[in-house]
Amino acid sequence: MRDTTKRLLAATAILALGLVPAAAQGSAEEPRAGGVLNMIAQPEPPMLMVGLNTQGPTLYVGGQIYQSLLTYGQNLEVLPSLAKAWTVSDDGLTYTFTLEDDVRWHDGEPFTSADVVFTADAFLREAHPRWRHIATTYVDSIEAPDEQTVVFRLSKPFSAFIYAFELSSFPVVPRHIYEGTDYRTNPANQTPIGTGPFKLQEWRRGSYIHLVRNEDYWKEGLPLLDELYFRIIPDSASRAVAFERGSVDVLRGGDVEGFEVRRLSGLPDAQTTTEGWEMYSPVVFLQMNLREPPFDDVRIRKAVMHALDRDFIVENVFFGLGEPATSPIASTTRFHSEDTVAYPYDLDEAKRLVEEAGLDAQAHPVRLMPLPYGSQWDRLAEYVKQQLEDIGLVVDIRGVDPGGWSQALSEWDFDVTFNFTYQYGDPALGVARHYLSSNIIKGTPFGNNQGYDNPRVDELFLEAAGAVDLQEAADAYAEAQTILTDEVALGWLFEMRNVTIMRDDVRNLVRTGIGVNEAMDEVWLDR
Amino acid sequence: MSFLRLFARNKGAVIGLVILGTVVAIAAAAPLLYPEDPWRSVGRPLLPPFENLRFPLGTDMLGRDIAAGIAHGARVSLLIGLVSTSVAVLIGVGLGAVAGFLGGRLDDLLMRFTEFFQTIPAFAMAILLVAIFTPSIASIILAIAVVSWPPVARLVRGEFLTLRSREFVQAAVVIGQSGPRIMFSQILPNAMSPIIVAGSLMVATAILTESSLSFLGLGDRNMMSWGFMIGAARTMLRDAWWMSVFPGLAILLTVLAINLVGEGLNDAMNPHLRGRRA
Amino acid sequence: MRTLEFLASRLGKAVLVVIGVVVLNFLLIQLAPGDPAAVLAGEAGAGDELYLAQLREQFGLDRPLHVQLLSYLGNVLSGDLGYSYRNQVPVLELIADRLPATLLLTGSAFVFSLVLGVLLGILAASRRGTAADTVIMTGALVFYATPLFWIALMAVLVFSIYLPWLPPFDMETIGAGYTGWRRALDIAHHLVLPTVTLGLFFTATYARITRASMLEVMSLDFVKTARAKGVQQGRIIRRHVLRNAILPVFTLASVQAGQLVGGAVLTETVFAWPGIGRLMFDALFQRDYPVLLGVFLVTAIMVVLVNLAADLLYRIVDPRIETAA
Repeated sequence: MRDTTKRLLAATAILALGLVPAAAQGSAEEPRAGGVLNMIAQPEPPMLMVGLNTQGPTLYVGGQIYQSLLTYGQNLEVLPSLAKAWTVSDDGLTYTFTLEDDVRWHDGEPFTSADVVFTADAFLREAHPRWRHIATTYVDSIEAPDEQTVVFRLSKPFSAFIYAFELSSFPVVPRHIYEGTDYRTNPANQTPIGTGPFKLQEWRRGSYIHLVRNEDYWKEGLPLLDELYFRIIPDSASRAVAFERGSVDVLRGGDVEGFEVRRLSGLPDAQTTTEGWEMYSPVVFLQMNLREPPFDDVRIRKAVMHALDRDFIVENVFFGLGEPATSPIASTTRFHSEDTVAYPYDLDEAKRLVEEAGLDAQAHPVRLMPLPYGSQWDRLAEYVKQQLEDIGLVVDIRGVDPGGWSQALSEWDFDVTFNFTYQYGDPALGVARHYLSSNIIKGTPFGNNQGYDNPRVDELFLEAAGAVDLQEAADAYAEAQTILTDEVALGWLFEMRNVTIMRDDVRNLVRTGIGVNEAMDEVWLDR
Repeated sequence: MSFLRLFARNKGAVIGLVILGTVVAIAAAAPLLYPEDPWRSVGRPLLPPFENLRFPLGTDMLGRDIAAGIAHGARVSLLIGLVSTSVAVLIGVGLGAVAGFLGGRLDDLLMRFTEFFQTIPAFAMAILLVAIFTPSIASIILAIAVVSWPPVARLVRGEFLTLRSREFVQAAVVIGQSGPRIMFSQILPNAMSPIIVAGSLMVATAILTESSLSFLGLGDRNMMSWGFMIGAARTMLRDAWWMSVFPGLAILLTVLAINLVGEGLNDAMNPHLRGRRA
Repeated sequence: MRTLEFLASRLGKAVLVVIGVVVLNFLLIQLAPGDPAAVLAGEAGAGDELYLAQLREQFGLDRPLHVQLLSYLGNVLSGDLGYSYRNQVPVLELIADRLPATLLLTGSAFVFSLVLGVLLGILAASRRGTAADTVIMTGALVFYATPLFWIALMAVLVFSIYLPWLPPFDMETIGAGYTGWRRALDIAHHLVLPTVTLGLFFTATYARITRASMLEVMSLDFVKTARAKGVQQGRIIRRHVLRNAILPVFTLASVQAGQLVGGAVLTETVFAWPGIGRLMFDALFQRDYPVLLGVFLVTAIMVVLVNLAADLLYRIVDPRIETAA
């Protein structure tokens, strides 16, 4: 616990001195104000209200309008946002936040602790499943002793709690607009009012979203840019052309296919970074339905792991934009353990395991459902089919669209599919949900849909989440990782390394662990 | 003049027949030429064409042989084209024959029904159907058939309308032949040639529709088809042109050949309509 | 008077057809796998039972099917197409935002293909057997056999990338703030590639049918008579042949109105054209049923209106025709 407090204090101290982590590039130059930054929102977000939708593009655009209490650095250090300071009591049960003063909503109303309490206790509790889970499990009370202070009291220690205040988990919403209304159908969702550096000017559906500078922004002299355009370009090849022709300045990870990333990175006026995904650190895995043959047999699952050449997948299917994964917890986040069961690529061993299991493959053909997110995922499915057939399984690819995929996975009507998960800074927030037996529930594609059930693992995750001492948590997570990899609860394939490509005169774009979702108040153009 | 000589007079038709014959031969011989599964990685990924004799048309990003894909894809394209057209022709002939032969209220009803189907944009409807029944070879065939029968129905109805007043039909009525018997043994054989011509052109359209569906990601994932190959290659168009150019050419040539043959058939079967193309 | 009567009866039938389309699509959609609430929850990156139940209740999906259908039909008849599940705005507003773009694209593709196709067809027919005829007909055959999306990709590659002449996507220069003529020119510039791409297949069709129809009419007796009387070739074609040969082209053109909308799905996707074709495609995958139904309704109305217009035109061009078959 002392450890936690120390980290928090250190982060606060750095901020008090005004030492905002400098960007890798161009720190020596004098920032210039003015200019327009062109980006792409892909796919077009349904709305910009981050409290109601946490899709990637919603966060990307909405992150310029809405803000959270905290944000997180590239080493997952806790940084201030709307909260300028915070303390955690020694027993790990009381979190006290001091808010920035002089913050105003885009409509001129003052931002106060009442907005935060409304957000935490009413709005997100109803509209945000991830926050609802945390609030009902751990939070006893949320109070505002004065206009600048908010106090959360927990019912039991939860060391990941400090990571729960990121943009996608805890965007602060205006009480004066939402209190007493039906949040989802409130017409104000179309005219978002936040505290962020930019305001919505116009959204021409199917074409672009136009944001303009918030003249009344609470950070003196910021933002530097005048306007932001988020263009809607549905075809991935066209998005690459847009960057090449200079009509957009930034490509977010996933905006273009892996193959294009290589080519576009090589353009003379382009710069790239893989930073800015530390908070999310997506891990791709193969999800096998453990309820039915053949994957109810751990030997078959081990055989599958031996049959897949993860280096080939990263190199040839994802064009090098990843690292083979060895554990359920991403290597870029805390509590990752190297002490896990490894499955080197070995077809002979895989065949031996299948034989040992005595599988009648014809009697149990496998339905393989590709992730419907674009061509690389199709190629992955084709590769996996080929490898599994090599070790004697019978595989049938079931093409589905996102609706069908989500439905089949939520209803457990699948044999094997792919998925990836965001880590959200701490295994208790992003990882445990895929293994806890309490999360074997129908209705969501992001739970324990494979049906993994091991009481010891449940115990370890609970112990780690509730540990006040970080070493204790690390030990529990290490044991959990060993068990999970030994039982192949999921088939971890690789950690995605998303690349942000931008024009070489864009400065300060990626500064924190949430990357381009961070408020672009200090971004400027050297042109 | 005999049918063959009439057909052979149309140079385009002969060229079309040669191309189509080649495509059919390749499709038939695919399992012999490329006994390996076309989905298998067999070489170095992204090998350009004409460099390695083992892979004359190059390889794709997973090292799969493009030539093998084209050969096996020919089977899929022809299969989808033929089966979906047959289904569409069956529906169209059935409805059109009944409407044209019986006339009256039923005719009116059936033609409303046909018009109704023509009101929904065909390709949009095909997308909807394939998405609803999840993409598979069966749902693709069904979707193409459902959107392509109305013109056949109208054509057949028109033929039946004119033929039913001819003497040989009247004679059959007089000697007491049953309605279905007259429809299928008297009228239908005489209406066959326009149906065959329309059908042959529909095969071409069906192949194009399948490729468009695959391009949008609505193809059967277990079948190596040309549309799928282009769809998969399109993001790499500029870096690996051969991945999309060869299947594209395959579609172009096949569809072109079928059209040419269709016209040749038209000229040979309906000499009085010579030159009429639609 | 007769025309009015004809119009009234056709309009009555058209309304029935449109209602039929709505009911059929409504029922078809129920067969699709994928509960809209689950899709939205999946897309939002989060979901639990409570969240799904909230969404279903909000969308009215917890009511029995026939109640949903009847209430939808009732709303449609009163001009209310419902709310988009995903965007939370009225469907009518979404479609109204997108419809002008599609009308512009399909309309210009229609005019482009009809004018160019008929001209090429006339040229080929009047120079039958010459090199010009061969070139036009071969070109028409090739474009008739090439997948539309393939043309789109190649056109972008050649005219936007290797030769940076034409913008590869978007409907106008975003952020340029043009107004008036300047804006119209800018849009026209962006319109070139999508129009040509969408129109080429139809150009090929019209060229072929015009040529065939002209040749057929030219072999008829009255043309032979005119020729025998020494009337000039150009005059024969203008005064006698074209008038009679153009009817099949009209028939085809009215049937192809629906196909243009279908083709717009592909064209709008490749060229980032903000029209209803793409709206439909997105709505299908997002299981945004009110939007999907709304787009089908609007396209059905468009097709019905075009057919009606074609029938009226027919009656004007050729008064002998009573009601269209």
